[in-house]
Amino acid sequence: MLKFALAGNPNSGKTTLFNSLTGSTAHVGNWPGVTVDKREGTYKKLSVPVAIVDLPGIYSLSPYTPEEVISRNFILDEKPDCVINIVDATNLERNLYLTTQIMEIDVPMVVALNMIDVVKKSGDKIDAKSLETQIGLPVVEISALKEEGIQELMERAYAAAQKKREGKTVLEGSPLSHVINDVRIALKGKGVENPLFHAVKLTEEDELEVKDHPDEMQMVEEFKKQFRDDTFEGDFEAMVADERYKYISAHFSQALTHSEKKDQGALTKSDKADRVLTHRVWGIPIFIVILFAVFHLTFGEDLLYLNAIFGFAKDVGDGYAVNTGNDVLNAFVSVFYSTAGVSTPGAILFNLMGFITDQLGGLIATGLENAGAAVWAQGLVNDGIWGGVAGVLSFVPQILVLFLFISILEDSGYMARVAFILDRAFRKFGLSGRAFIPMIMGFGCSVPAAINTRTLADEKERIMTNRVIPFFTCGAKAPILAAVCGGIAAHYTNMPLSADVLVFLLYLFGMVMAVLMVMFMRQTSMRGEVAPFIMELPAYHAPQFHNLMVHLWDKLKHYIKKAFTIILASSIVIWFLSNFNWEWECLTVAEGEISRMNESILHDIGSFFMWICTPMGFGLQLGQYGWVFVVAAVTGLIAKENVISTFYVLAGAIGVTVLGVAGEDGESGIGVIAAFLASEDVGITWQGLIAFCVFNMLTVPCFAAAATVKGELPKGKFRWTIAFWLLTSFLTATAIYLMFTWWWTAFIVAALIALVVAYFILRNKGKINFHFKKSKKLQE
Amino acid sequence: MFFSLLSAAGTVVTVVIAVAAVGIVAATLIFHFIRKKQGKTGCGCGCSGCSGCSSHRERKEKAKK
Repeated sequence: MLKFALAGNPNSGKTTLFNSLTGSTAHVGNWPGVTVDKREGTYKKLSVPVAIVDLPGIYSLSPYTPEEVISRNFILDEKPDCVINIVDATNLERNLYLTTQIMEIDVPMVVALNMIDVVKKSGDKIDAKSLETQIGLPVVEISALKEEGIQELMERAYAAAQKKREGKTVLEGSPLSHVINDVRIALKGKGVENPLFHAVKLTEEDELEVKDHPDEMQMVEEFKKQFRDDTFEGDFEAMVADERYKYISAHFSQALTHSEKKDQGALTKSDKADRVLTHRVWGIPIFIVILFAVFHLTFGEDLLYLNAIFGFAKDVGDGYAVNTGNDVLNAFVSVFYSTAGVSTPGAILFNLMGFITDQLGGLIATGLENAGAAVWAQGLVNDGIWGGVAGVLSFVPQILVLFLFISILEDSGYMARVAFILDRAFRKFGLSGRAFIPMIMGFGCSVPAAINTRTLADEKERIMTNRVIPFFTCGAKAPILAAVCGGIAAHYTNMPLSADVLVFLLYLFGMVMAVLMVMFMRQTSMRGEVAPFIMELPAYHAPQFHNLMVHLWDKLKHYIKKAFTIILASSIVIWFLSNFNWEWECLTVAEGEISRMNESILHDIGSFFMWICTPMGFGLQLGQYGWVFVVAAVTGLIAKENVISTFYVLAGAIGVTVLGVAGEDGESGIGVIAAFLASEDVGITWQGLIAFCVFNMLTVPCFAAAATVKGELPKGKFRWTIAFWLLTSFLTATAIYLMFTWWWTAFIVAALIALVVAYFILRNKGKINFHFKKSKKLQE
Repeated sequence: MFFSLLSAAGTVVTVVIAVAAVGIVAATLIFHFIRKKQGKTGCGCGCSGCSGCSSHRERKEKAKK
């Protein structure tokens, strides 16, 4: 099968084109560096199927980071039948720099002028035919987003792939052409493939080439001795780059005509927006306000706090704000309008899903009872299978709303600005803005976020970022926060903080912990300079409906897949362990009877580890069913959604005690947490619940994320990372529990933190330095 | 007659539930074992944009070589 590679600058639209060509739904984002590894698909609209390989974005073929090496090696070693060079037409000159490098490789090539629609809209013109004549390669105007010019591009690429092509350089007339030609002939004589490309790279003194071709390097050294030009003080790499840009500006840029009407000095709409959104002072507060708005619209129950201000929603009986006389209808109306006020979009979808799962759960339970299934089988289906899965699924709509907003921020180009404004604020504390990009991706899933750390050139920064990525609450942890905060707000009705504010504060707390931990590591095991951060800020654009739907579809697929595989299986196993004792006797009891779960295998296992969780507020101080929190925290290691499904399964099994207290709220996840708070047999406090959330946010992530982080870390660093996660989560959750339970302990915690900070400040000023006595052997 | 039929139906439903539960757990374990063998992370993160699976496999293959 023919193989075409897509190569180009970061954020030039390669992945958008890849999706258009192959029908894939690969993640696209309006920031540079979304793709960090190559991926393959097939284009089937030509006479023969063609494999399309999407390569990570690169600015040049001089590799510095791992993903740049991937792109370079693929073009050189895998020998694609054609390279489709995607050029961002709105930034022609800079993008053609890479084109002049790929041209030097003996590979058929086509240039795709992407975003041509944006160029035309701005009033500029690009003469593609003139550019084609100047470059000597086929040039096709396309819009990957609007899927325009794609067929022509593929036909011309197919035609180009039928012929052999020899590399060509724009450095022909430069002062370096002599040495380049000599080295090329020498390499060709040795049978080296792509001799022109290697000759140019040797002239640039590219590290990899110098290692591979030491003999030819001597020719370059000889030339260098005779060469007299002090403009670049003997830096041939800079000289080659300068020659390329000179050529581009003299020959290729002529194809671009700027609009006469266009005032070159005027600010674009993006520039004007950036004046506000990336403001030195207001940039971070604006980001926090935007983030809060997202959480309010997702988790809030009182839209824009209208009810809190005007107080129009009243309980007209049985906890409903509207009484139609029909219970089911009342429950349905309360999906949109309850005693809390008018529901936010997230709350409406959550309530609706809860309403559906409640009705379905009721039907299943009645069906099984009528069919005469055994009591244990009814318990297994109602609590184990349906309870666990429905518990997780009921949060799916809310999580989708959250991701819709995050995707809008990503696709519009705002998230790239967030990295920029955070870089400005945190650089002095040892964090670069580049590291924030994978961290922000961690809001979605820690797995792709950890993979994205490959774009970080500095190894220490890569290690630190991998360690703190799980602190950015992912989609799987969001239901834990939503359920716990919703439960606290539902139980303590007089509490001043609503569920959305609590969730927002916990998300923010995760981010603050990430920054603090990076600062701490910078002062201890990861000392060093912060890598420079240069990022091209993409222009703002309206989020594409198709992209947003693709993101949401990916998330939905992820949840459904997980709910019906790992979560379903885990729920069954948990139900089994909580309903059988060591003698394999079934402990399931009929409704109304006293639960025997405290004789179960799971009770014994959970109780054994309760002492560890005692300092965090969910250990030995809890009641006879308190061990459910230990079990939930452990099952969360398999998949974080398991925490909620475990609560559901176990609440069902001890239902006689817990759900009896739950009252009207009955089956929803929030109801379960509120019921735990109300139950003396569980005995959890809100302080313990907050500490439980903090522990889950900061501890070892799910197995998949931990395995990915292991793959991204240098050898020997993973075990320290595990210790770091365990220790950070344990100490932080303990401090949170202590401070919220006994306010005066805040002074002790503050004093300890102040001591550590004072030590680092004094040490950095050189006023403290601990010298440990060396042993005699070492001194010798 | 009616009660014995009902009891038989109850037994069938119970057996089906038991078999399904064991089947689900076994199938999930086998599915994850196969994915692990294929070098995929099994995270099921759902994003086709997640290149984790393929890259992990390649890394392992390279390490073997």
